[in-house]
Amino acid sequence: MRPLQPVSPGTRVVLGVSFFILFFALWSAVTFSGYVSKTFLADPLTMVRSGYDLLVNQNFAYDIGMTVWRVLGGFALAAVLAIPLGVLMGAYKPIEAFFEPFVSFARYLPASAFIPLLILWAGIGEAQKLSVIFIGSFFQLVLMIAVSVGNTRRDLVEAAYTLGASDRGIVTRVLLPSASPEIAETLRMVLGWAWTYVIVAELIGASSGIGHMITDSQALLATDQIIFGIIVIGVIGLVTDFAFKAFNRKLYPWARL
Amino acid sequence: MTNILNISKLSKTFPGANGGTVALEATDLTVAENDFITILGPSGCGKSTLLRMVAGLDTPTTGSITLDGKTVSGPGADRGMVFQSYTLFPWLTVLQNVCFGLREKGLPLPEQQDKARHFLAKVGLKGFENHFPKQLSGGMQQRTALARALANDPRILLMDEPFGALDHQTRELMQELLQGIWEAEQKTVLFVTHDIDEAIFMGSRVVVMSARPGRIKCDLPVPIAHPRHYSVKTTPVFTELKAKLTEEIRIEVQRAAGLMGV
Repeated sequence: MRPLQPVSPGTRVVLGVSFFILFFALWSAVTFSGYVSKTFLADPLTMVRSGYDLLVNQNFAYDIGMTVWRVLGGFALAAVLAIPLGVLMGAYKPIEAFFEPFVSFARYLPASAFIPLLILWAGIGEAQKLSVIFIGSFFQLVLMIAVSVGNTRRDLVEAAYTLGASDRGIVTRVLLPSASPEIAETLRMVLGWAWTYVIVAELIGASSGIGHMITDSQALLATDQIIFGIIVIGVIGLVTDFAFKAFNRKLYPWARL
Repeated sequence: MTNILNISKLSKTFPGANGGTVALEATDLTVAENDFITILGPSGCGKSTLLRMVAGLDTPTTGSITLDGKTVSGPGADRGMVFQSYTLFPWLTVLQNVCFGLREKGLPLPEQQDKARHFLAKVGLKGFENHFPKQLSGGMQQRTALARALANDPRILLMDEPFGALDHQTRELMQELLQGIWEAEQKTVLFVTHDIDEAIFMGSRVVVMSARPGRIKCDLPVPIAHPRHYSVKTTPVFTELKAKLTEEIRIEVQRAAGLMGV
């Protein structure tokens, strides 16, 4: 092992999987041996069994569907508004000067702290859940997209000007394509954060969703169900992340050269 | 021959402490149609600044630039530029890169591609149309950039040390290639370099610039007939001119390095 020396793809998979195995082995060891009481931590087998029960008998698939829809809905709304604003801010400095200070301030406002207010304004329905996701991702997206667009290589912009590009051409044919791979990366990252907000939104005032199931299980001290819920979120997050990555690679082959 | 480019009393001062840095002192220069002028000078003599102002990428502090009688006030397709850095758009293929300016002009796609293929063939890049810039060597990228500038059919071609980042052998090949294209196309070219051999071999006139603050020190015709073959670099005319220019540049470099009283 030497600094920065690459590892072969096969070894990478083996190493990655072996930590999962180690993790489960350790978990099994402390639970099956009775070292940690069942009240505090369920063992893996119980977790899998109650997970099966949740899916088959308690319509947990519906909760998963609700949570996924909330994340994607709120995130899509944020992205649709954040991309044009971010691009404009990155391209036109007066627009950036106008919005940037406020957006920088707003992105430090914790989305979860808005939940009481949002319940007051939007009730406990879907609008409130979507708003939490929106607040949590919109400001981050705007800032990161503006930076990506603003970082476009100046010499490419100059080259385009000497080829007769108009200002509009600079934005649509240089700034946008140049920043696209980074914008896609930003979307992928912020979508990951959106997953953490949705659960918080569902912990309070929800009647469905993975977060709601977790709150219900808390009352019953059902640690097996809580852990199953957490793992489901992790798996969904991992799958969307991989899909997003693969999609970006396919969409922007030149960015990897 | 008629003058197409007129530069008069052009100067550039970059703002800063102590009244700023004078990059270029009031400079006059005229460029005739089909002329190939090389601007030779040590680094920091303002030769790139001069070229960038002609391109419209920098604004002059005083003075004016006119192209075909029209005052230059910003960048435009009538002045094509090849930069020292690799400025192909990495998200476009070689063919799409060459089409960039043509598309901006609103040419129909088949016409764009015909033109682009024609110029790509001229710079010897037939068969590379669908490559991305990063799949090409430095020399090939600069050839594509040259084709991209030529395809736009500019009135004047501005070249800012276009071969500066290439290795010596590739640079010599590129010089011959550009020389051949210029002889065939009869373009007007303003070519900035700090390489004396390159300045003589390429130019029909060599303009020498002094170290900071930049100004034109002398303007020498190159009495070597076209077509030029690389072997002219060993003829007496060439070496004599080279000796003279070496001396001129040496003084400037010393001055710039602070090795000599002004």
